[in-house]
This record gives sequence, C-alpha cells and structure tokens, in this order.
Amino acid sequence: MTNFIIALALGVFFGFSLNKAGLTKYNKIINVYRFTDMTVLKFMMTALVVSMSGLYALRGLGLITFPNVPATYIVGNLVGGIIFGFGMALSGYCPGTAAAGAGEGKLDYLIPGLFGFLVGAVIYGLTYDKVFPAISAIANYGNTTMPDLWNLSPFLTILTFALMSLLLFYLIDRVGWQRKGSEQ
Amino acid sequence: MKFILNYIRKDEWSPYVAGVLLGLVGIAAVWASNSLLGASGAFENIAGMIGKAVAPAVFDNMYFNFIMPPGITVGVMLVIGIFFGGMIGAATSGTLKWGKKDSANSDEQWKRIFGAQTWKRWLIAFFGAIVLEYAAGIAGGCTSGLAISGGMLLAPAAFLFIAGMFVGGIPTALLIYGKRF
Repeated sequence: MTNFIIALALGVFFGFSLNKAGLTKYNKIINVYRFTDMTVLKFMMTALVVSMSGLYALRGLGLITFPNVPATYIVGNLVGGIIFGFGMALSGYCPGTAAAGAGEGKLDYLIPGLFGFLVGAVIYGLTYDKVFPAISAIANYGNTTMPDLWNLSPFLTILTFALMSLLLFYLIDRVGWQRKGSEQ
Repeated sequence: MKFILNYIRKDEWSPYVAGVLLGLVGIAAVWASNSLLGASGAFENIAGMIGKAVAPAVFDNMYFNFIMPPGITVGVMLVIGIFFGGMIGAATSGTLKWGKKDSANSDEQWKRIFGAQTWKRWLIAFFGAIVLEYAAGIAGGCTSGLAISGGMLLAPAAFLFIAGMFVGGIPTALLIYGKRF
C-alpha cells in the first residue's frame, strides 16, 4: 500500500515536470529530431546528470542500494530504440508524455493513445516468445552498468558525462548549434 | 516566495529547471521505494488484466503469467500519477481545458504538415502508440523506464536506446517533412 502511494506521488511530480518542460506538445518532440528545438535533449540530460550524481553519491554513502538495472543486450536495445524513434517522430509523444498530455485534457493522447498502447502491449505479449528471447540473446551483458562492465570509476564516468552535457548545452544555447528549420 | 509561485504558474519552464526536478524524482524513486520510473510496462499490466478477463486461454502464456503479471501494479499507479501530474501542471498555468484542450492537430506545425483533420491525427496517434509500445518491449523500456531510469544508473542499455531513438527518429522526421525539414 505504501509503495502504491509513493508511486502515485512520484508519478505526479514526473508528470508535472513533463508538462512544465513542454514535452506534452507535438512540436517539442518532433523538433528534437529536426535539431530545431533541443528542449527534449536538454531536459533529459539535465535529469540524468542530477540523478546519476545523486544516486551514486547516496550509494557511496551506503544510504541506498540500486534496484534491478535495465539489462544490456546490444541489438535489442538498439533496434528497439530505432523503432521507438520512428514511433515518436511520427506521433509526437511517448508513453510517459502521452499520459501527462492526457491529464491536460488532450483527447488524442487519451483515447487513441491509450488504446494504441494497450493494443501494442497485447501484440507484444502474444509474440513475446517468438521475438524477445532470440533478440535479447545477442550480445547480452545482463543487468550491468558502465563502471562495472568496463571497470571505470563511477565518479569519473559521471564527471565526464556532466562535462559533455555542459559542453553540449553551451554549443546549443550559445554557439548556435540549433538549426533554424524552414518549418517552425 | 512570490518568485517561486510566479514561476510555478508559468506555462513553460526552462528545460534545465524541469530536468533538475525530474532528476530529483528519479533519485526519490530509488530512495523511497527502491524502484525505477517507467511508463510502458504499466500498459502491459493493464493489457494483461483485460486480456485475461476477456480471453483467458489466449493470454495464458509465459509473458502474461510471469514476465509482466497482469493487474494494478506499482507501475500502473505511477502512470496514473503522471496523468494527474500533467493535469496539475496545466492547471497551475491556466492551460487546463479538459475535453476542449487542443489536440496535436491544432498545433500550427502539425497542421501545416498533416492538416487539421481530427481523424488523421487520431489514426497516426493510434498507430504510433502501437509502434512505441512494441518497440519499448523489445528494447526493455521506454524513454522513462530505460533512457532515464537506466541512464541514471549508467546502464549501457540506456545510451544504446537513446542512440537508437535518434537513428530512427531523424530519418522519420526527414521523410515526413521532406523539403520542410
């Protein structure tokens, strides 16, 4: 029961941040793939820098343990990502932003969106044993992290990621690495 | 204090500020419940629940029995929370128009590319959602469950997925926008 309430509260803040970042808008999602508005990338990379720093610091202090790390199986992660990118550029949302947009009252997110996710889930669940075991068996490294896999210092890995993110933000915001598309 | 309240009422925040908030939520998920954020899995839980009620024989397979057990899970609660979070976010900026809220087909950019017809938007939204959910299944999560949640633990899977998103998304955008890319 407690876990249910925690999940609900986490979801509320998550959805709130998606709304405030503007990710529930069609143009924000599609324009990251056109490089004319990099909001999605800025939002995600900022979240990653904050959360990876916090989590590794808290684990270092012995205050938390990590939950099950999402599994790395190179071909599946990559192919899944490619198909996902196609779906995202086409529809202008993803499962999380669709849920938040539905809460705003966007009926196209709520009705065909919810319905489509459920249909997709059914198709996936019924074809799972023909698809997933085969694709996840290729180059499978299990539930691993980069520091564990390559014997890196978590601190230096996170520092590198943070500096790369800052450089990218600088290039986008100050140097003008953002395209001016013919279609705004 | 007034500054903070005024900022909360803004329609759109700096992505950096919103990103810090999401990052803190990601930390809180691990700290408070030793769990990760996610969205796509919830739809599988619900689909399994409906499926098992309607056609139990068809849904009596390994996936819906063991991999993604049907029912109202913690993940489903999270998605319900996201729904209300979006609602509260829109309410604070006065852009909540339930039922009348502009769909994507009233977005100027969408209109110029696809036209203003609702049926067209709904068809694309429906088809896109099927593709997204299936792809999330193969990849092992979606933008929240894999890219964000995996990325914050430094899982290589997350960065492969993000790279894939761009490899798939850029040609799709090129194809849709053509000369107008």
